[in-house]
Amino acid sequence: MSDKIKITLTVNGTAMTAEVEPRRSLADMLRDDLRLTGTHLGCEHGVCGACTVLVDGKPVRSCLMFGVQANGASVRTVEGLADGDRLHPLQQAFWENHGLQCGFCTPGFLMLAAGALEENPDMTDEEIRDVLSSNLCRCTGYQNIVKAVRLAAEVMKAGPAPQATRS
Amino acid sequence: MSAKKPAKYGIGAPVRRREDPALITGTGRYTDDITPDGTLHGFVLRSQMAHADITVEGIDEVRAMPGVKLVWTAADIADLGGLPCQANMELADGSRLTAPPHPVLADGRVRHVGDPIAFVVAETASAARDAAEALMIDYDPLDVVVDTAAALDPDAPVIWPEKGSNLAFEYHGGDAAETERVFAGAARVVELSLVNQRVVANYMETRGAIGEYDAATGRYTLTTGTQGGHSMRKILADDILKVDESLIRVVTPDVGGGFGTKNFVYSEHPLVLHAAKTLGAPVKWTGDRGDHFVIDSHGRDNVTTGRIALDAEGRILALQVDLVAAMGAYLHQFGPFIPEGALMMATGLYDIPVWFMKVRGVFTNTTPTDAYRGAGRPEAAYLIERLIDLAGRETGLGQVEIRRRNFIPPQKMPYTTVTGQYYDSGEFDAHLALALEQADFDGFAARRAKSRAKGRLRGIGLATYVEICAFPGSEEANVVLNDDGSATLYIGTQSNGQGHATAYGQLIAKYLGLDLDKVETVQGDTDRVRTGEGTGGSRSIPLGLASVDIASKVLVEQIRQLAAERLETSAADLELVDGTVRIVGTDRSVSLAELAASTPGKAKLKAHGNFQQDGATYPNGTHVCEVEIDPETGATTIVGYTVVDDFGVTVNPLLLEGQVHGGIAQSIGQALHEAAIYDESGQLVTASFLDYAMPRADDMPSIRFETRNVPSITNMLGIKGAGEAGTIGATPAVMNAVVDALDAARGIRHIDMPATPSRVWHALNAA
Repeated sequence: MSDKIKITLTVNGTAMTAEVEPRRSLADMLRDDLRLTGTHLGCEHGVCGACTVLVDGKPVRSCLMFGVQANGASVRTVEGLADGDRLHPLQQAFWENHGLQCGFCTPGFLMLAAGALEENPDMTDEEIRDVLSSNLCRCTGYQNIVKAVRLAAEVMKAGPAPQATRS
Repeated sequence: MSAKKPAKYGIGAPVRRREDPALITGTGRYTDDITPDGTLHGFVLRSQMAHADITVEGIDEVRAMPGVKLVWTAADIADLGGLPCQANMELADGSRLTAPPHPVLADGRVRHVGDPIAFVVAETASAARDAAEALMIDYDPLDVVVDTAAALDPDAPVIWPEKGSNLAFEYHGGDAAETERVFAGAARVVELSLVNQRVVANYMETRGAIGEYDAATGRYTLTTGTQGGHSMRKILADDILKVDESLIRVVTPDVGGGFGTKNFVYSEHPLVLHAAKTLGAPVKWTGDRGDHFVIDSHGRDNVTTGRIALDAEGRILALQVDLVAAMGAYLHQFGPFIPEGALMMATGLYDIPVWFMKVRGVFTNTTPTDAYRGAGRPEAAYLIERLIDLAGRETGLGQVEIRRRNFIPPQKMPYTTVTGQYYDSGEFDAHLALALEQADFDGFAARRAKSRAKGRLRGIGLATYVEICAFPGSEEANVVLNDDGSATLYIGTQSNGQGHATAYGQLIAKYLGLDLDKVETVQGDTDRVRTGEGTGGSRSIPLGLASVDIASKVLVEQIRQLAAERLETSAADLELVDGTVRIVGTDRSVSLAELAASTPGKAKLKAHGNFQQDGATYPNGTHVCEVEIDPETGATTIVGYTVVDDFGVTVNPLLLEGQVHGGIAQSIGQALHEAAIYDESGQLVTASFLDYAMPRADDMPSIRFETRNVPSITNMLGIKGAGEAGTIGATPAVMNAVVDALDAARGIRHIDMPATPSRVWHALNAA
């Protein structure tokens, strides 16, 4: 069980190699081997979406994928969402619109929304709510998450013009 | 919306959260994100049966497995005390409640699925799991009882034979004989039997615990998500490990939701500490969602019959309640207290002169129940709000007039209820009127007609709720000005995601003239914070902020005096602004950093506040829910939701609205989706998110929220508390809306929660 397999992958833009047990999930590999603990585990059976990361640009439940399956893939996690010190528009919108409380589900929602908006920047309100229904949050009642994603979508469409610093 | 620009900080300012930058960048730190060097990993093997005598075999073989450090069953930890029940209330027969033993590991008998049997520690989490699963448990099954309503049947299997039956306790409130007399002479009696079903907290971060032990000092450190480490420390010290309290430190990192259920000491807490001491290495346990479903305390699970006696004008003369509350297989830490919340708040916002309530707690072969968001008050509000709605239907007065006729009028405030509660303030008809206007109640008939035209059933439901918060007590606050000019608050409440550091910080920032990011809140460490009562009962902001206010004002005065000496002026001429103390109207100033760094001693740079609150506070409000039901599928859609709350004073409107949204979501979950269901053998068949329906974004309406505050006269700052209110008002509002739709269409006046499509469809097709 403990024979490890060597894989190479890109995580948040950095190429790396990792040695993982075949039975280890991508989520456990990210958290325990790569110490990227921003990806959270809420159910480990693929329903809550707290562990959502982007694999080759698509939102994926990292608890349902083995680490070894990420061999050759590009993985993005919440730690790679901001551009240096500059927050991603989704992060900014979650902050400004009180889109999180305990914050445990937040990385999953951010990565889900990031993947969905990259695929379709013009989602309607209904489509946004539908996509966000993929993941679970127990604190917010979702209203501010939906609002934050809608507002972030507008900012992202407006382009990467430098944002004014907000106090 | 006010045209006036809100103040940047202070009470009422919509300040963005100080907590968020870490949490949105993945640098928050929850229990499972922490792994000290040399950590060993624990796994708890749990019962797969609901009731059985057990023997554990293969222990020696498992101890010899590679990487295994320790295998414990009950016999190995005989020196540890059990998990205590802290409810020692007086019962109907005059005796005090006594709880059966609740061992850390099941001792020869398991009493619910998930009961812990063995603890295995190994070098890795997977090795510990592999080893635990190699243990052989020999189960000798016993008869099982899971149904709350059937627990007291004469032929029900008895879980605690020494108790004689499954009756765990019985307590009463009110006057039985007088209530009977009033009912006998009443013009009308309205009766409703309902089930407040068992639900599961399902915070997103499952529990975890890390135990460390320092042999040199004999001190233990427990790192775990809590709702306040001080109470946990005391129980671990006094009841379980039996060591001096000073030898235990409880550290609480970021907490991914609690909702009542993370208040408590669970078996894994002493297990990781005791194992860390035994093995001389840190020991970590991380529970998964399955553990959460079977071992963390559940909520609600009451079977209740309520009756109200009315006079000919529809005024309530008396209330009578018979409530049976499932306690689970053991009495949990606060378990027996929870129905007491239902008892205290049974009469709601209504002027009811006579009552009698009987509460019976019963044992079943299920996970123990305890506090879950609202803890007794949702049960009270659900009963009285369903009952008064039914009375509105049966008298023909309707849902609005029946309430108005029975509200405690403003001129009677403050008002002591017949259940003994002192409502210090509130204008109930006023928030009802505002909510009806906001929800366009008058336009409902036209909306119903439109729905009918497309084959849908439309209903509108109200709940005018009241709850009890901020129980008498205090929460001390210590504020310190640091040498760099920043401030630190030390306080023993415990944020579970509510944003306490922002709420406290925005007040300190205002008083000290600092930016919020210069105000740090230290919580969650029993070594750094002297006392603490934790988060629960919506107490943190009413009690904590009042102490913060006192401490901040004292500190400001001290700082002014220090600066007055420095600037050779009168303290009265000084203001604290932009991190400096300045002579008003001049540019002469000294920075807080300079002042702090140059003050000898430091005693003047610290201030203490400890507001003592003598009574409780009573938030109240009106929820209006509008639903549309598809009779073909039975599916209910919430098409409108309006809330007007009286929270006394609004501290931070962003945070406040967030609390209301989240509470309503949990309540909508209970009303329409969620249920913890046991089969006859005692298996929890809803023990995963595949089987337990959680509310999702597309189940939630867009909520229209407003406050109509009447300040509390009990709380120093007028604050009433807001953490649970959403959960308390929403279940009856949603269910009254569902019933309104079903009554209009088919004359159906009762349906139990959760009103799933299947249940609604069957009700429609049976009628």
